[in-house]
Amino acid sequence: MIKRSIAFLSSLKLTIALLIIIAAASVLGTVIPQQYGAVGSFRTLSPELIDLFESLQLFDLYHSIWFIILMSLLSANLIACFLKRFPTSWKLFRKIPSLDTDKHFKNLPPERIITVEGKPHGVIGKLEPLLLKRYKRVRKKASERGAVFYGEKGAYSRFGVYITHASVLVVIVGAIIGSLLGFEAYVNLPEGESTNAVYMTRKKGIKQLDFTVRCDSFSISYYDNGMPKEYRSQLSFLKDDTVLFQGPLLVNHPITIDGIRFYQASYGSIPGDEVYLTIRKGDGETVLRTARAKDPFFLNDNDASVEVVRIEENFMSMGPAVLLEITSPEGSTSFWVFKYIEKIMDRFPEILDKVPKFNPGLYRPCLFGLDRIESRYYTGLQISKDPGVYTVAVGSFFVILGFFITFFSAHKRLWIRVAEQGEKSMISISAHSSKDPVGLKRDIEHLMKHISSLRE
Amino acid sequence: MVLNTTILSWVTFIYFGSATLYLFRMVTGKEFWGPPATYTALFGLLAQSIALVLRWIESYKMGIGHAPLSNLYESLIFFSWTIVLLYLIIEWRIKSRNLGAFVMPFAFISIAYASFSPNVNSRIQPLIPALQSNWLISHVITCFFGYAAFAIACGLALMYLIKGLGRDDGSSAFFRLLPNRDILDELSYHSVVIGFIFLTLGIITGSVWAYSAWGSYWSWDPKETWSLITWLIYAAMLHSRLIRGWRGKRMAIMSIIGFGSVLFTYFGVNLLPGLHSYL
Repeated sequence: MIKRSIAFLSSLKLTIALLIIIAAASVLGTVIPQQYGAVGSFRTLSPELIDLFESLQLFDLYHSIWFIILMSLLSANLIACFLKRFPTSWKLFRKIPSLDTDKHFKNLPPERIITVEGKPHGVIGKLEPLLLKRYKRVRKKASERGAVFYGEKGAYSRFGVYITHASVLVVIVGAIIGSLLGFEAYVNLPEGESTNAVYMTRKKGIKQLDFTVRCDSFSISYYDNGMPKEYRSQLSFLKDDTVLFQGPLLVNHPITIDGIRFYQASYGSIPGDEVYLTIRKGDGETVLRTARAKDPFFLNDNDASVEVVRIEENFMSMGPAVLLEITSPEGSTSFWVFKYIEKIMDRFPEILDKVPKFNPGLYRPCLFGLDRIESRYYTGLQISKDPGVYTVAVGSFFVILGFFITFFSAHKRLWIRVAEQGEKSMISISAHSSKDPVGLKRDIEHLMKHISSLRE
Repeated sequence: MVLNTTILSWVTFIYFGSATLYLFRMVTGKEFWGPPATYTALFGLLAQSIALVLRWIESYKMGIGHAPLSNLYESLIFFSWTIVLLYLIIEWRIKSRNLGAFVMPFAFISIAYASFSPNVNSRIQPLIPALQSNWLISHVITCFFGYAAFAIACGLALMYLIKGLGRDDGSSAFFRLLPNRDILDELSYHSVVIGFIFLTLGIITGSVWAYSAWGSYWSWDPKETWSLITWLIYAAMLHSRLIRGWRGKRMAIMSIIGFGSVLFTYFGVNLLPGLHSYL
């Protein structure tokens, strides 16, 4: 049973099946909107389908149990294949090649046999240093009338495939380290504000940082054609009233504090706490006035105070509006002042009768108007910590190294026999290469040229 | 029209000419058409290289200097450039022009789409903040050499399948000139290996870049995911060949499926929402 499951785990059929299933699952994940994108698709899918997708974890497919199982199976398959094949490769690598046999020299094509002047003794004396220079693990077996040599190069070639596969495992390990010990979070930080709490993207909930980040300012610059050129957040990182770091955060240039990386991810604007009001007084004169939220000002001669109580960028889908509270000796009134009051009244002519609180002239004889709300930027920061990233980087490097060894190097083996033939020596060359017959042929031709120039 | 785009639209016709000459050679079976086909392609490649350099210089003159690898137009132009470059290297190495009729059309279609589609804007545009990175050049170059090698492998696979349709009585020059199936299979395998290495490098350079731009080296963005899908398909193909010894028709079909996945990674992904909204 154990044997059979090991055989199953180390089978190539499993490898290919897994590669194809993982590819197919990944396709599914690009078709079905994932995570936050999924919310938007709820309107277009039927409830049954949503339930089905939900129960199969298809809205977060790449982190679903079954996708993780597939990846674990692939890892198990990699390990099993490694354990099954590596010992054989190692044994072959360590094996001392036999020089006894004549089998290598049987059926050699005539161009692999040459005759050179001189007795074997002298030829061997010259051949040996040549082989030692060009080949590794050169062995020699001398006999009375000659010698047999063995040489090889590129023996490491067979390990390329193990390097690649072990490195893929290292990458997977790095990804696991990252998902267990790292986190991803975001925070939208208005200009001038600071926080030490950020929102977790995957694990949900709030993460407390042990330092504070403050957005001092945010700015965008544009090219002449209107395309954005630069998003820049001026950030300060503070701990116990000491500044850890202060500097600009740009896209592609994250800031790292305590191993936690900050990225410029997005931006937006929110209403500030300053508004511009127009006030037409009883005498028909209109003035423009700025007002700050919760900071009352006096209307005329100290008789009535006006306070901006609420600022809404889009109140009841009717555009920007502020809620004013006017306190005078006669009592207090509060009402909303819309920026687009004329358009609203065009669409709903009776609105002021139905909702008196929407009447900007409720405090007689003044008529209020909203010129604009001062907006301010917030910067969208992405925050992440991934201790597995170096492992992944090292793994990736060795994947590529393994590729080069696997695909661009070849194990070449060579047997050379020098035998006495009268006053001359007969040299036979037999060779074998795992992958590169063309390169091998070139090598041999090179060697033959050298040998034929050997003379005592 | 700016000089570089004018040259590039002329290169479209040059590649069309070259592809036609290669096809003529295949149909008539006369080597007479061969050298002109090669020299036309070489001339086109030279003109295209000059245009790319001019475009690069032009962007610096505009004050928004960057390598011409930053939008759909520039990537299509670069795609055709890599295909022709790789093809000519292969032609020179194997000393045979027989692949030309199946590879040059890919280069022609790519550059023709760039030059003549109304959806493709040929203006030099400045780099948006996300693209302002030193990784842009290495990422785009590795990816497109990968794509080009897979395009060539796909051309070879098509030749393999077409060769199988013909009767081997030598009566038709076209079928006679198609290399024998073992050679096609071997060449296709080598192209896939080259493509696979470049694709892996492209994915790695891309994730290094993503790590400094998006906050994570891998975020399952659709283009990332599709590059992984492509990688898995070719990985399955290489394993079945190297270990199970699959050859021939199955490999040819997998190579065509793989290239379909490459094309979807390149173009199709833009239909899906994601971070790679530029190309």
